[in-house]
Amino acid sequence: MTEYLIRRVLQSVLVIFLITILTFLLIHAAPGGPTQVMLAPGLTPEIFEQQAKNLGLDQPIPVQYFHWIGDLLQGDLGYTFKNHIAISDLLWPRIGNTIILMGAAWLVSLLIAIPWGIYNSTKVYGLSDQTASFISYLGFAMPTFWFGILLQQWLSLKLDWFPLSDMHTRGKEDSIADLFMHLVLPVTVLALGFLASYMKYARASMLEVLDQDYIRTARAKGVKERKVVFRHALRNALIPIITILGLDLPILVGGAALTENVFNWPGMGRWFVEMASAREYSALMAVTIVTAVMVVIGNLLADILYVVVDPRVKLGKQGGKAA
Amino acid sequence: MAKKRKWWSGLLVLSLVGVLFTGCSTNNTAGSSTNAPAATTAPAESAAPDATEAPAADAPVDGGTLVTSSFSDIVNINPLLVNDTASGDVAQFVFAKLYNLDREGNVQAEDWSLAAALPEISEDGLTYTVKLKDTAKWSDGQPVVADDVIYTVEMAKNKETGSPLISAFDKVKSVEKVDDHTVMITMSQVYAPFLYALVQEIVPAHVLKDVKPTEMQKNPYGTDPAKTVTSGPWKWTAWKQGESHTLDADPNYWGTVKPHIAQVIYKIYADQNTEVQAIMKGDTDHISAIPVTQVEAVKADGKIDIIQKPGAQYEYVNFNFDGKNFPDGYGLFQGQKTRQAIAHALNRQGMVDNILKGVGALMNAPFLPDTWADPGDAAVNYDYNAETAKKLLAEDGWVADAKDGILVKDGHRFSFELQYNAGNSRREQVAAVIQQNLKDVGIEVKPKAIDFAAWIDQNVTPGKYQALLLAWSLNTPDPDAESIFSSKYFPPAGQNSGWYKNEKLDKLWVDGYSTVDQAKRKEIYKEVGKEISTDLPYVFLYQYGQAIGTGPRVHWAEEDAPEPSLGYGQFFHAIKWWVTE
Repeated sequence: MTEYLIRRVLQSVLVIFLITILTFLLIHAAPGGPTQVMLAPGLTPEIFEQQAKNLGLDQPIPVQYFHWIGDLLQGDLGYTFKNHIAISDLLWPRIGNTIILMGAAWLVSLLIAIPWGIYNSTKVYGLSDQTASFISYLGFAMPTFWFGILLQQWLSLKLDWFPLSDMHTRGKEDSIADLFMHLVLPVTVLALGFLASYMKYARASMLEVLDQDYIRTARAKGVKERKVVFRHALRNALIPIITILGLDLPILVGGAALTENVFNWPGMGRWFVEMASAREYSALMAVTIVTAVMVVIGNLLADILYVVVDPRVKLGKQGGKAA
Repeated sequence: MAKKRKWWSGLLVLSLVGVLFTGCSTNNTAGSSTNAPAATTAPAESAAPDATEAPAADAPVDGGTLVTSSFSDIVNINPLLVNDTASGDVAQFVFAKLYNLDREGNVQAEDWSLAAALPEISEDGLTYTVKLKDTAKWSDGQPVVADDVIYTVEMAKNKETGSPLISAFDKVKSVEKVDDHTVMITMSQVYAPFLYALVQEIVPAHVLKDVKPTEMQKNPYGTDPAKTVTSGPWKWTAWKQGESHTLDADPNYWGTVKPHIAQVIYKIYADQNTEVQAIMKGDTDHISAIPVTQVEAVKADGKIDIIQKPGAQYEYVNFNFDGKNFPDGYGLFQGQKTRQAIAHALNRQGMVDNILKGVGALMNAPFLPDTWADPGDAAVNYDYNAETAKKLLAEDGWVADAKDGILVKDGHRFSFELQYNAGNSRREQVAAVIQQNLKDVGIEVKPKAIDFAAWIDQNVTPGKYQALLLAWSLNTPDPDAESIFSSKYFPPAGQNSGWYKNEKLDKLWVDGYSTVDQAKRKEIYKEVGKEISTDLPYVFLYQYGQAIGTGPRVHWAEEDAPEPSLGYGQFFHAIKWWVTE
């Protein structure tokens, strides 16, 4: 297991390194640099050339890249070009804010989706199953930003039940209760999206397992249905769900730019879009690295959870049974 | 193990539900207690310029918070580097300027200006003597002195700083200290717009004197509130990147007029739509620009006062005169009559009425209507007349093709690409009108929307396009526009990106800024107006405006209302505004 983990981590480091090179090249290939984004009418390009020179942007791309990666290895994520602010000061609070938002949405959707999906697999095409199907379609089909605006219009502007946007009420002490109120609308929007897919997975996965021979055998032996579902089927059904959850882990950090925009949530997704349009290379690289690391961790966690959930899965020297 | 997990999740759900209910009650109480008084103290007295009711009996009150918003965060508020609207907005509150503009755009030494009186300009127009108030202080308690002005001017004109102020200060020959509070600036030539260059914030020499020009951008002055020593009525106390700025009234502010508002919060939203929602909800009190498409909805809501009139910006269609941008090197816009025909073919008034909803004014020259340099009738006004357009095109040798009706001359089809930036809904609509209008006279237009950064980088700056739809936002009220229209300023170093050359105009621009006598300048710009509107390097479309919105908590006397026609006029005389809770 340890050897396997080490091997996976080393592989991942290499992958992350290659990703940084590729991203750096792609971003530089896009037209318009950080100074061009700042270009306002009435100013000559000479001013921008001088500003770019002062920031070291006139250096060849490989030099810029190695300069950046050198700093990174010393734990320095670099500075924004626009105003020379440490990326780490900008990045970590936003990741924190996004984890609060996405984590809450994820948790809420899991708590609803898994039990509901499992229940529906035992009562296929019943009223509950039909309702869940309808919600799933809604979750898949409805654009999140539109749903967000709709909730804002009704529950905030018209009825004044919830705050319109932001994380805290201005002028009030930050409190968990206040944060919670600000979470309700964006979490509802995001949870609907998660809920739709998790419910489908939970239901489908259970149905598949319930159709297996050993379940039929158990039933034939007269084992109670409740025991069949929870003791025999659930554990196996959870395996594919865990895979999905593991793969979704980076989303918790990456944020949902549209939802964050609509609710003015100061998170990663919105920041990433801002940084992309400002061609802030260092910031984009930092986000890429963080996301890549999350993907690796997500995959590893999924693999480890397999062993916990299903003892039949053993991780051998060849790299195990990674999905 | 499994049992334990169940307990935990049960507890978690319970606590979440508990917090939800607590949260509900707290917020609702808070919300209603703050909203109720606001609703009762919301008469229509917030005096927009066109408001008929005079301000109510309520006198200004001290204290309170004004929340204003933007859809982009600052870059740097160091006055030497300010280059974007958001940074300029915040700088407005925390820095005093040498001079300020009055509502008509005249330079004045106001109570809150650093200068004690208007500059003395020598008879030959070459030296400006600026006298500072001896009471002015920086936020760290140091006095504002001549050395600060000298340092600011020298850094601004130094190429290595990369300061956007360079074009205003590069004609300064020397800047000398007369005494601690007096500075003499000598110009290398007479340059009339320089008076407006003095409407400028300055930086503290005692803080920045050891910073190399090339290091200025990396210096925390301008990006770190703790290290940014300021001179204005409010201090910059906090910046949550991408979220908000907090500006607190400086208790030691030196001015004789003190700000009423104790705190200004400058909030940053993701986009204009979110900003509009926030002011409608009452989360903010002020918005600098309500999108044209939402003005009606905001008006219908009834809570927000809207000040809407044309501002300091105008839109135009720019022709490219460089043949390299056209197939076979055949420039389509070489003929003066052809350009005049296009001006006649465009329904500019229709654009103002339908797209700008009436908040705009036609323009025939690059000078804003109703300013002293407006040439009035001296500039040619092209009425919307397709027949005249067709006639002019025929006179210039264009003949309709028998197959599709598109005009042809010397074997070249009159078909061109009109570029503009993606995401600007006003421009998208105008481009569509242009396409249709010109189709009616036999010209094929292919509108092309490009991402702003890419467009500026690859097309506008190097002058590589056939025609473009763009606007100028005017930084100062001075009419000098040499850097846009003179052949001295071809790309890549200048802004005459259409490669337009007119020797008469080249000379007139120089004449225009080489005298400080405004009456003489007025005559010169009248001549410019006549020449440029006849020759048409641009089809000048219209001056347009942004709708400023303010919520019921904000108040001002009529003479202190926001002034959309000035740059940063959305905060005009904010020092005298007040807010009620």
